[in-house]
Amino acid sequence: MARYLLKRLLLFVPTLFVVSLVAFFLSRSAPGDPVLQYLTNDPFGTLSSPADLYNAERVCRQTASLLGRDKPLFYFGLRPKSYPDTLYKVTIGFRRKALEQLIEQYGNWPLIQEYYDKVRAMDLALLSLPDSLSAAAASIKPTLRELYTITTEPAVKSRLDKLEGELAARPSLQARLSEDFQSLRNAHARMQAEADHDARWVPAFHWHGLDNQYHHWLSGFLSGDFGISLYERMPVARKVLPALRWTLVLNILALALAFGLSIPIGVLSATRKGKAFDRASSLVLFMLYSLPAFWVGTLLLVFFATPTYGMKLFAGPGLGAVQTGAGFWEQLGVALPHLILPVLCIAYPALAFISRQVRGSMVEALKQDFVRTARAKGLPERTVVWRHAFRNALFPIITMFASVFPASIAGSVAIEFIFNIPGMGWLTLQAILQQDWPVVFVVLMLGAVLTVIGILVADLLYALADPRVKLGKGL
Amino acid sequence: MTKAPNSIQDSRQGWFARMKRRRTARWSLRVLYVLVFLAVFGDFIANDKPIWCKVEGQHYFPVLKQYSVDLGLSGWDARFLQTDWKEQPYEAVLFPPVPYTASGLDLRNSNFRSPFGKQRVSSWRWRHWLGTDRLGRDVLAGLIAGTRVALLVGLIAMGVAVLIGILMGALAGYFGDDKVRIRRGQALALVPGLVLAGFYAFMAPPAGWGIGLRLLVFLAVLFLFFSFGKMIPGKWATQPVRLPLDMLVMRTIEVFNSIPTLLLLLAVVAVLESSSIFYVMLVIGLVRWTGIARFLRAELMKVKKLNYIEAARAMGFSEGRILFKHALPNALGPVIITTAFGIAGAILLESVLSFLGIGVGGDSVTWGSMLSAARQAPSAWWLALFPGLAIFITVTIFNLLGEALSESV
Repeated sequence: MARYLLKRLLLFVPTLFVVSLVAFFLSRSAPGDPVLQYLTNDPFGTLSSPADLYNAERVCRQTASLLGRDKPLFYFGLRPKSYPDTLYKVTIGFRRKALEQLIEQYGNWPLIQEYYDKVRAMDLALLSLPDSLSAAAASIKPTLRELYTITTEPAVKSRLDKLEGELAARPSLQARLSEDFQSLRNAHARMQAEADHDARWVPAFHWHGLDNQYHHWLSGFLSGDFGISLYERMPVARKVLPALRWTLVLNILALALAFGLSIPIGVLSATRKGKAFDRASSLVLFMLYSLPAFWVGTLLLVFFATPTYGMKLFAGPGLGAVQTGAGFWEQLGVALPHLILPVLCIAYPALAFISRQVRGSMVEALKQDFVRTARAKGLPERTVVWRHAFRNALFPIITMFASVFPASIAGSVAIEFIFNIPGMGWLTLQAILQQDWPVVFVVLMLGAVLTVIGILVADLLYALADPRVKLGKGL
Repeated sequence: MTKAPNSIQDSRQGWFARMKRRRTARWSLRVLYVLVFLAVFGDFIANDKPIWCKVEGQHYFPVLKQYSVDLGLSGWDARFLQTDWKEQPYEAVLFPPVPYTASGLDLRNSNFRSPFGKQRVSSWRWRHWLGTDRLGRDVLAGLIAGTRVALLVGLIAMGVAVLIGILMGALAGYFGDDKVRIRRGQALALVPGLVLAGFYAFMAPPAGWGIGLRLLVFLAVLFLFFSFGKMIPGKWATQPVRLPLDMLVMRTIEVFNSIPTLLLLLAVVAVLESSSIFYVMLVIGLVRWTGIARFLRAELMKVKKLNYIEAARAMGFSEGRILFKHALPNALGPVIITTAFGIAGAILLESVLSFLGIGVGGDSVTWGSMLSAARQAPSAWWLALFPGLAIFITVTIFNLLGEALSESV
């Protein structure tokens, strides 16, 4: 038994590894710059002195390090030779993006770096102008700032020409900035003239070692440190764990209800195969199976949980109000009336599915020879059905847990959304709306882990129920 | 899945004819035909432009003309741009049965007009038979437009899923773990081959390259390395090794099955920067192929042991020919059944996604997005009832068809 379990567990390791890769790389391709999102107000918004610029850059660096974004992505990297292997050290999102676009165009990294440094040098020179010139400087500042993000050749050229014109029109600025501007122009011209268009075709392999984003993300995940939410700046774990608790409460209640009801229904319709009860329950169950749960949820909410139609039989959406600081059980007590409808909505598709399966496997079991033997022995029908047939019909029902559990977790996303239950599905939707990607991908990972645990539990139950799967002495 | 036919005549009929002998299947097909009709000719059934009209002695066919305008082949007459379609000085006019479009706003009937309540319309001809939503959009027109989206989702998502599923299922089921043998040198060359093929197809080329060209480069580089691997001399390198295709495919399926589909879809669709219903369809197809692949694999494992495959091999047919011309056609039964259920699942998934407001542009009207409006306005029962009913009916007929197929294929 222990060996069997160990083997199953080991098989899940590569699966979860691939899942983690999928989740990680999806999370890194999400739109938006996490650093700026975390900072909420743009540190580059109002700059009035060189110290401000240094400060903004430092804040970005520190935030990136806090969010684990100042490291290479993975253990190794394969990129065209034109890309430097240290591009990840540029922690300011818009600068990195612009540099990447420049590399795509010109492919000559040292010259690109030089040009970009000159843009920054010119910016610094502008910022260090005395106050008497600041009014004149304000007119060319926006044009210069655009050079940080604009990379296409004609656009950059037009900005440079515009800067030149404006400087020529203002002799006082011209005197102080012409040197910086000339070197910026020269750097741009050199970058253009000495572009290397072939470097992109040469692959370059870089080994980054263990100090990379993926390694930190995964080891953090495994030790329960899920990273930091970009919204409200709190640890993801503090958002996800309470949500996980509600999702589990919902699904465990729903599955208990579904299994508890579907076994008697399935067994009864199997023993009365073809009779009225069987035909009626089959029809009803098929209808239930096809009824979209999120529609039924909406209908129940609209008609029976709001006072609009005078039929407010159930508590409304949400979990009800409790004082802050109330314990989980107290919260659960208040929330229970609010959970009735959501639990029903998660339970009934599972109920329909499980009942049909139970009926099917019971019909098969009742056809077996040992059932006829048991009846011939004169055993009461109850004993025949429950002790002999049902025990043998149990195995497929147990393995079904593996497919029902993930389905109900997924199904609860829409139900949580409809009934405003702050579970994992609700949290995911909120996080997607807020572009809070760390939360989204932690939930995706946790969903996968839960699914795998569901499959494992089914395996374990199967091994426990079927004596043919050899049991060790320990269990 | 392959049940013994009841009679000789039975086995001669195709699966479609056998399926149609069931009453539920016949009814499902009839409903499906209606839905297909609505999807194809929706523009002629619900539209705020007339199908035909006569203005100042000239005949126009505005609904038809819209197609050519959309394609950029022609433009509207100035008169139609200046005045609303409802207020043209028609001499004669034929409006569609539902004289509204799904996204057209009827400002005089905004703020949830009930189907039975008072509506500010000039005659019954302009009535909103199924009510309106907050912006005054006609619910019936929305349902008709939603039909097209739903059926397209089923078609495209399952089209993608069937293509991938058949490829993967055939590789795993027919070739298994030990049928494909390559030289050790080739297996070795595959590793750098895959890496460099990925590099030259997806990293190195400029952004302008199309996906077709990239795939071509990928295959070409891979083939190059594969051929090089064949040339590596020496006893060690020329020894054959098995390519465990079945294992690889089954592992991939396991990975897909251990990620909750809806969560994966939510994450992927949210990450895509451009939201379009076609991306949603594509992504649904990319995550839903596993069922088809699993059933086809199981069926092919049975089929490949049959005598006629042995006979085909004895005749010296190539493996590819045996697979595609002999084994695969005989193993497609489970694929057809899974596809029917899969279409139901895909339509349901898309409607959940648009219900949650993920992945559909603000403009497009789908059954799911209409249903989600009901949450904000509990008093508008028609918004909760009708779109849900449409989803229910569509999903049910595909489930019924799947059910009927599984007993007749």
